[in-house]
Amino acid sequence: MEGRCAVETWTEFGFSGTPYTPKIKFGLGTNVFLCTGSDEVFVFSTQERKLRAVLQFPGPVSDLVECHDKQLLYVSCRSGVYCISFPFLLSRVQSSPADASSSPAELKISSDFLVVGEEGALSLLLVSSVLLILSQRDTSWLLSLYKTPEQTQSSSYEMLGSFRLPQVLADLNSDTEGQTGTRRRPVLVCVHPGHPKSPSSSSTSSSEMTITDSHFCLEPVLFKLLFGIDAALARSPVILCGLPDGRLCFLPLRLPGSQLRVLRSLEQPVVFVGASVVMETGPGLARCLVAVGEQGRVVLMKTDKGEPEGGGDMAGFIEGCVPGPVVCSFVDEHHLYYSTGSDLLVLDLSEGSSWREGKERDGETSRKTAAAFQSPTSLNVCRVIALAAPALNTTGDVQLLGLTIRGQLQRIILPAGREDAGSSNLPSTQVGRSVRDLLSAIGDVCERASVLKTAIKSKNQILRHLNHVLNISFLLLANKNSEEHLPMQEKQIRCYAETRWSRLLQKDSLNLTCVLDNSSPYVLEQGWTLSITVFPLSYSSSAEGESSSTNFSFPFHNLNPGETLEVSLPLSAAGDTSFPMRVSCSLIFSLSSLLGEEETAHLPSLQSSCISLPLNTLTVDWLHTLQVNSPTMHPISRNATSQSSNITTDTVQAFLNSHRSRCAGRGEGGGEGASKAEREQCSASVRVSSELLRDTLVLKSSDLDPRGPKSTPQNLCSSLLDWLLYESPEGVKMGHQGDRFVLSSSVVHARGPTGDTVKLTAKEVNVGEESLRAIEVQIESSSIAAVCGLHHAVLRRIQYQWRRRQQEVYFGLSSWCCFLWQCNNLQPPTSTCV
Amino acid sequence: MSDKMYQPTNLLNKWVQENNELVNKCKQQEGGGDTLSRDQNQTPLRSYSSEFHKLLRKIQGVPPLVNHTHLELSVVYNACVCSTAQSQFTEAELLLIQAIQRALQMTGDEPVASNRTVFWRTVLKSVGNTTFNTCVRYLLCLQWAIWLATCQLTIIQELKEELSSLFETLCGGVGDDKKNEARGKSSDIPLLVTDPRGLVELLQICTSIIQGAERLSEGQSSEALSALQTASSLPAPRALLAYVHFLSGSCLAHMSRPQMALQCYRKALVTDACCVSALYQSMLIYRQLGNTQAEIQALRLLQSTLMLPSVTVPALATTHLLSPSLLLCSQSLSSLLSVPSALSVLHSLALKCVLHGRVSEGVEHYLDLLAALHSEDQHGVHAEAPALPRLPELYLEAGAALLMARRPADCMALCNEVISTTLELLPEKVVLEDPEETSEAETRDMSVDGEDRVGMLLWTGAAYLLQGHCHTHLKDWKQAVTHYTRCINLLVRVRFKKKGFQPQITSGDMVVKQGTHLCILQRLKGLSLAGRGISFTQTDQLKEALRDLLLSLQASPECVGAGLWCGEVLWRLGRRQEAAACWEKTWSFTTQHHSAEGLPVYLQEPQSGPLLDSTELRHRIQELGPN
Repeated sequence: MEGRCAVETWTEFGFSGTPYTPKIKFGLGTNVFLCTGSDEVFVFSTQERKLRAVLQFPGPVSDLVECHDKQLLYVSCRSGVYCISFPFLLSRVQSSPADASSSPAELKISSDFLVVGEEGALSLLLVSSVLLILSQRDTSWLLSLYKTPEQTQSSSYEMLGSFRLPQVLADLNSDTEGQTGTRRRPVLVCVHPGHPKSPSSSSTSSSEMTITDSHFCLEPVLFKLLFGIDAALARSPVILCGLPDGRLCFLPLRLPGSQLRVLRSLEQPVVFVGASVVMETGPGLARCLVAVGEQGRVVLMKTDKGEPEGGGDMAGFIEGCVPGPVVCSFVDEHHLYYSTGSDLLVLDLSEGSSWREGKERDGETSRKTAAAFQSPTSLNVCRVIALAAPALNTTGDVQLLGLTIRGQLQRIILPAGREDAGSSNLPSTQVGRSVRDLLSAIGDVCERASVLKTAIKSKNQILRHLNHVLNISFLLLANKNSEEHLPMQEKQIRCYAETRWSRLLQKDSLNLTCVLDNSSPYVLEQGWTLSITVFPLSYSSSAEGESSSTNFSFPFHNLNPGETLEVSLPLSAAGDTSFPMRVSCSLIFSLSSLLGEEETAHLPSLQSSCISLPLNTLTVDWLHTLQVNSPTMHPISRNATSQSSNITTDTVQAFLNSHRSRCAGRGEGGGEGASKAEREQCSASVRVSSELLRDTLVLKSSDLDPRGPKSTPQNLCSSLLDWLLYESPEGVKMGHQGDRFVLSSSVVHARGPTGDTVKLTAKEVNVGEESLRAIEVQIESSSIAAVCGLHHAVLRRIQYQWRRRQQEVYFGLSSWCCFLWQCNNLQPPTSTCV
Repeated sequence: MSDKMYQPTNLLNKWVQENNELVNKCKQQEGGGDTLSRDQNQTPLRSYSSEFHKLLRKIQGVPPLVNHTHLELSVVYNACVCSTAQSQFTEAELLLIQAIQRALQMTGDEPVASNRTVFWRTVLKSVGNTTFNTCVRYLLCLQWAIWLATCQLTIIQELKEELSSLFETLCGGVGDDKKNEARGKSSDIPLLVTDPRGLVELLQICTSIIQGAERLSEGQSSEALSALQTASSLPAPRALLAYVHFLSGSCLAHMSRPQMALQCYRKALVTDACCVSALYQSMLIYRQLGNTQAEIQALRLLQSTLMLPSVTVPALATTHLLSPSLLLCSQSLSSLLSVPSALSVLHSLALKCVLHGRVSEGVEHYLDLLAALHSEDQHGVHAEAPALPRLPELYLEAGAALLMARRPADCMALCNEVISTTLELLPEKVVLEDPEETSEAETRDMSVDGEDRVGMLLWTGAAYLLQGHCHTHLKDWKQAVTHYTRCINLLVRVRFKKKGFQPQITSGDMVVKQGTHLCILQRLKGLSLAGRGISFTQTDQLKEALRDLLLSLQASPECVGAGLWCGEVLWRLGRRQEAAACWEKTWSFTTQHHSAEGLPVYLQEPQSGPLLDSTELRHRIQELGPN
């Protein structure tokens, strides 16, 4: 168990975020005064191990100091300094109710106890009968001296004078203030020259000359070197004042005409000023002054032996930096203890004293000094924010009293063999770590790790994202290379579409619903955009083709494998005959979405850079744009009924339409109108080998028996029409309003995008003398554009199907199809044999 | 309806009552709180101030009414007095101006002059004979006080006519006053925290004092004097009258009429025994006149007055809330009034005594001084310009004084103190730079580790020298030789470096400026070598004696003892002509100049060693004469 501290928690006070740094002080026999920075001062008995009294002050307590001789306690508060006598305190503590054993006495300190009405007192010090108060005024530090009265009863505190020191670097303080909300108390200590029992020193002050935590006796030579001959000759105590602005000032107290002078600047708030014996001189005489700054700067002030040639002794300042912030600190005979908040560390000062032995090897010594400062020994006590040494230290082992950030008062007994442990290396101290220390260490590491973790996590995220993007890119590029060979269904990321007529504001329009299907194993993550370009096929080669193309972009968030994204875009309004149209889909990835917004803001070039990957191209032909009439309806009356069914309320419109058509018919030639219309119709036909069709269509509807009802010519005709109208071999299919009509007959009446009626008829015919059976699809319409468009569409479909079939089954079948153009006003169509 | 009619008057009565209660409380506090210092007085004052301001806000919440004006302006006066007493001058002034403008809205004309002088002139004109004439006058008093406290003397000068008429009306109108007082008894008259009549008297005298001080510092002594002489007849507190006399004295001193100045200072002291600055200035005049006895007397008086506990803080009795110290804050006045600290005066007194033959008295003063320095009550608070010399020098001076008073043991103890303090810090070798660079070198040395190394070495040397003198005095020649030798050994550590030359041991033929380290070094060398030489003569080591004495004369030719004893040794060695020449030369030196002047007292030649009778020596020369 060597190297382990025994920590004993005596009591616990709840406090947090107080305006001043807390302080522990021994006094009133074996009691401890605790001021936590709040309005209360706690009196804790170390013998009974319990809280004896709570003194309630009218404001936050900044500091307290006790006067042994007169049994007084001075407490500085926002409104001034209060003085409470111990006998009074004890009488109140004892006179409190009989069950005092359980609850501490509570004392409200009224303004009757106010002795010095100086506002903003931050630190107190009592030097014999002089009370020193350090306060901050606007832009300067003010050190005021008050003479305490001889009689305790008297309340006249005569002001002896005050010293002012202009403030510099106010931000040093405000920095810490801002972080913790706690105001660092300036350090105020008193340094006496020479031996405490020096015969020439006045006898009255002998009791306070004993070394306490704010009074030191300094070795005479060092005293003279630091504070001057005059202070030494006058045997004047010197007030050392460590300010939050980093300056260490001194003031010879009893020297006429003395001023606050700066001894040294630590350039960081001074946390602690103390003295250490360091060397083997007589008891009580410190040979080294130590000042510790908030960020770990340690200044040791000691005598440097003069060189044999030339000057005598010099004051030597050794500066070093210990790791970590210093919350509080304490010095005993050889060691500097300091708490970083997460650990209590000890630095061996006697080691440091030997560093200066060889003056010549300055480089080496400074390196050694730095090394020694950098390797303090951990005592594995965490969260200590205030330290004090017990007044009685009889057993020889070092005892410290600590206050933790949670308000626990702890006695810390340092191990006896610690010196050896300190000089040897760390392993021995690591053996007996208490669980608590480990936990605190883990807490520390955790906090640091979590920051790194988030950074790494975000980097990983980006990498993973990028990886996905690359995977998808490769996938799509591979697709592109083999686009000709791969059928569309086998593409892992693809688009398919559906046309749908909709009526809005009495205008029919054709909408295309595009569905992006991600069947790849990769997620399409944020940053991807689906881009769809629509352009008419017939204009694609012409010069003005670009102008008629329309581009749509749909950014999306996340598309997991197996999910689909449905977008809808207007294709054309009624009356537009620019079919067939080509719909080209592509995926675009913007690089800026990989990084956060702030990163991209610095890289404007990145904002526009993106990867564009073509997906597939769809064609919307005339067949897709047909609005199929119910087969039961008569083709002539269909127009009006369809309209009235679409907009049932608009009967007036229906009436007008029917009226107009009647008038038009009448105007064109009375009863002959209908026959004339019949006569003027264009027609075109396509013949397809029924064997081929049977194979193809039966193959498709696989669950049916190939010799089943579908194989009859009548069935074949209707299924061909069904296939032409409703199937989607190339990824585009026609949407249907309401139910899909079951095509039972081989005749379909429909309405094209321009509003013309179209009649599709399928029938079986014999071709040539070999009695080759074929299905003829006849397209009849009054509009030549519709006939041409539909003829092209049917041919294209069949061609596509036939090409696919070629890939599926080796081409060898004697199948053919024949196209026949037939139009009354045109030349007989040429028939093509493939 | 009738309720509404009566409400304003009810409210008015309530406010008057509130004001009067506050004023009474304030006056009670003032009466009881005399012992409190000004700082501690601030807290209740602050609370009164805020109370008055609160009341004023209430009153000003209703539109200005003619029958409210008297109350309103009275409360403004009270609030402003409180603010001014807390040195919140700008707030007070703003409040004052705003209140007057508000009051003038009722009469119809609104003076909106940004210039304060014009503003007040128009205000006084337009107020004329209205009912609140007096109230406005009271507020002018306060404005005057603010101007005075902020040292805006030009405005006061510009409004001189108005202010003097204000003074006359306020202090002259006895009948009016009586009436006022009679009415004041009834509860419906708003009371005032400070009697404006007393205030205006105070203002008048303070203005005279400050104007006098300003003129004096500008060099217009005669104008200042005439103004001050008229002021001396004003009714005023004693302390302020003493200031008037003191300033008149200072004017006269400036006009080179020391005797008349002394008269004025005496008048000041008679008026107020605590007017230490008058005492100090008269001491300076005595010093200037060369009247040492009177100077010492004045110093003694000054010192004992300063030692009185209450005097250090100028005790201007605070009878009003607005104390004279608040109004007398001019820089030139405070510099005229400044007095060195008690310890510094004690040191001057001790030194003067020792230098002018009152050795035993001087020694007592020195011992008092040292005791004071070591006492626990001593706190280095006073830091005025003529500070004390450095402590080691003080010790050495005291030691020299003790030796003169034939107390060698005490002297040796003091020297031991100095030696034990400095010895460890002395450099093994030190180079003294060319005199021109000394100051620079000194500051550099100081900055390195806070001490002047050469100075320290010279102090230690001087301490050894004094110890040597002590042993000489005790006729312990061996010890004397030892101590003189220690001194010499220390001194040879110092090398002198002239610009562009190698460091060298100093020699006597160099031109040496007074007061420098080099001068002290040479003097020390001369004295210690002389002392050792003389000691050697007593043990009949004539050869060594001659060597030392010659070296001494070389280092410091003006050393009388060395010269005479050198002759004596030569005489004893039978070189009588040389001896005679040496004596003649020495006597000629002493008649020529007093080189010891300006040197510290511990570097004076000892009076206590073995002496040679000059008349006897002259006899010897005469006997020798024919040869």
